Amino acid sequence: MYRWLDERLDLTGLYHKVLRKAFPVHHSFFLGEITLFAFVVLVLTGVFLTLNYEPSIREVRLPDGRTVPAAYASILYIDSLPFGAVIRSLHHWSAHAMIAAAFLHMLRILLTGAYKKPRELNYLVGLALLGLAVVTAFTGYALPYDNYAVTATRIGYGIAGSIPWIGSTLSQVLFGGEFPGSERSIPRLFSLHVLWLPLLLMALIGLHLLIMFKQKHTQPRYAERVAPGKILGVPMYPQQLVMMVILFALYVGIMTLIAGAFLAHPVEAFGPPTPNTPAVKPDWYFLWIYGILQIIPSSWEFRLFGATVGPEFIGGVLVPGVLGLVGLLLPFVDARKDKMRYLELPSEHPVRTSVLLALLVFFLMASLAGYKIDFQQQGSLLGNNAVLWTLVLGAPLLTFALSYTLMRVFYGKGAAGREAL
Amino acid sequence: MDEREIRLRTSWRRLFLKGAIGTGIGVSLVSAFYVGASLRPKVVVTPDKEPLKPGDILVYAQGEGEGKPITLEDLKVGSPLLLAYPMDPKTKVVKSGEAKNTVMLARYRPEDLSPETAKNAVQGIVAYSAVCTHLGCIVSQWLADRGAALCPCHGGTYDLRNGAKVVAGPPPRPVPQLPLKAEGGVLVAAGPFTGKIGVQAKGPCPKGREEV
Repeated sequence: MYRWLDERLDLTGLYHKVLRKAFPVHHSFFLGEITLFAFVVLVLTGVFLTLNYEPSIREVRLPDGRTVPAAYASILYIDSLPFGAVIRSLHHWSAHAMIAAAFLHMLRILLTGAYKKPRELNYLVGLALLGLAVVTAFTGYALPYDNYAVTATRIGYGIAGSIPWIGSTLSQVLFGGEFPGSERSIPRLFSLHVLWLPLLLMALIGLHLLIMFKQKHTQPRYAERVAPGKILGVPMYPQQLVMMVILFALYVGIMTLIAGAFLAHPVEAFGPPTPNTPAVKPDWYFLWIYGILQIIPSSWEFRLFGATVGPEFIGGVLVPGVLGLVGLLLPFVDARKDKMRYLELPSEHPVRTSVLLALLVFFLMASLAGYKIDFQQQGSLLGNNAVLWTLVLGAPLLTFALSYTLMRVFYGKGAAGREAL
Repeated sequence: MDEREIRLRTSWRRLFLKGAIGTGIGVSLVSAFYVGASLRPKVVVTPDKEPLKPGDILVYAQGEGEGKPITLEDLKVGSPLLLAYPMDPKTKVVKSGEAKNTVMLARYRPEDLSPETAKNAVQGIVAYSAVCTHLGCIVSQWLADRGAALCPCHGGTYDLRNGAKVVAGPPPRPVPQLPLKAEGGVLVAAGPFTGKIGVQAKGPCPKGREEV
């Protein structure tokens, strides 16, 4: 059998060329793989959900006599199937896991300088993947069409509409008309969520892996000591493959356990859409944007070439946009001339490491500002806008100063002097 | 550069072909944009999506009395705000298909209202568009201690006694007021909203959509 296939497909050649390729090993290198596994689980569970979901807001009558949108009713149906609620929860939690793993993966790349020559391109593909993953998650948010999901998506619609000049057209095209209200919005969001965005994600993931394969993975520092000039790692087959299978099994096991124990997004409790706005909080990866939106006062508004630039645009689009732009430009600003083979140690780059720590603190503080209303209702000091602004801007600066000083003290000038950043 | 390459570079035939390919791609892209414009869905206005008109009866938007007219006695001073939809007085169609028709009602002591607000109120009852001017959520929470309306999305707070002045949070402007009158004990819209409803579309408004 093997010989028959080998004579036709040259499997031995493939084995020597591809499957014996050495992969460097370090536990932080698994973050990208976990992202991939989460995506695989999302596709598989997504297929199940698609087969049972009805993308429509037409009114249907439930057995108990209530009239609800068909999309909402079909989620109740999915939850009533054997393992239906578990699979839906697995889909939901895997989306969280994918974004979290992708973010940590990016953090690892940033901390070790792996975005430098020759890997600038793949770093950009990775950034696009993270952005696309977040957008895909957002388009899936409205699909259960419960009160919570509708309110959350309505905010996204408002933010998209706040973009000067093109906002109105953009939000109409993305959301299929007014959201909520238009009959076309759920079919459109559905099509984007289950077809076009996943296809784009798959294509980019393929490109990401292909470039990584071609350029070879960066290596941990110890590889330079052990075998300079060579790639130190385990072959793709069998060692790396075994590790991947174990990790995948672990991922599916742990996530299914979580999904079985914790029902995600309880649509039945949220109920079908009503005029009452529930107190919504976005998912954790949007919480920092949500926080910034809360602390920007309404007076931040000006007119520019016939369009209004308002606080929603500044908080919801401009701030994340600027951060994204900085991310895009990073490999061309913090560049090096020779090809990078070994990872840089975060301790040798006090400025870069401290900036990243400060950025993390900024995300945390902005997320904290997302709880402004709750703080206000408790009468806490944190409900005060000035206090929140001080935290959002001051804490990152303090973190940078502290981290930079400590790193200089502990790792010395000698190590830092060698490199620019 | 060898001779052949130089000849090719200056060849008119090459230049013409390149120009033709470039024009072709360019024109196709432009026409693709035109097709892309139809991604923007057509707006179909069904009776339940028509905008609020003067003379519409205000009915409960939710709860047990959903679809029933709201009477003056239903609103008490100090009780939480009520959400309402307009109902066409002739066809009896409740215009709930358009979220922007949502109206909030609250009652105060008439002497507490500002003169400007009192003009459009009936016995201390005020009505405003419930669509938050920040990002379009429905302003549905009542802050009993402050007698103000709160949008739960980003904490926009409106003082309904005083022209829905924004007293906290990010909304760029107050929600517009709806003039009220009482007809046979029920609340009826006496005129159009005093301003534009909802989030203002940024940039030039497309034709015919200004009033949305």
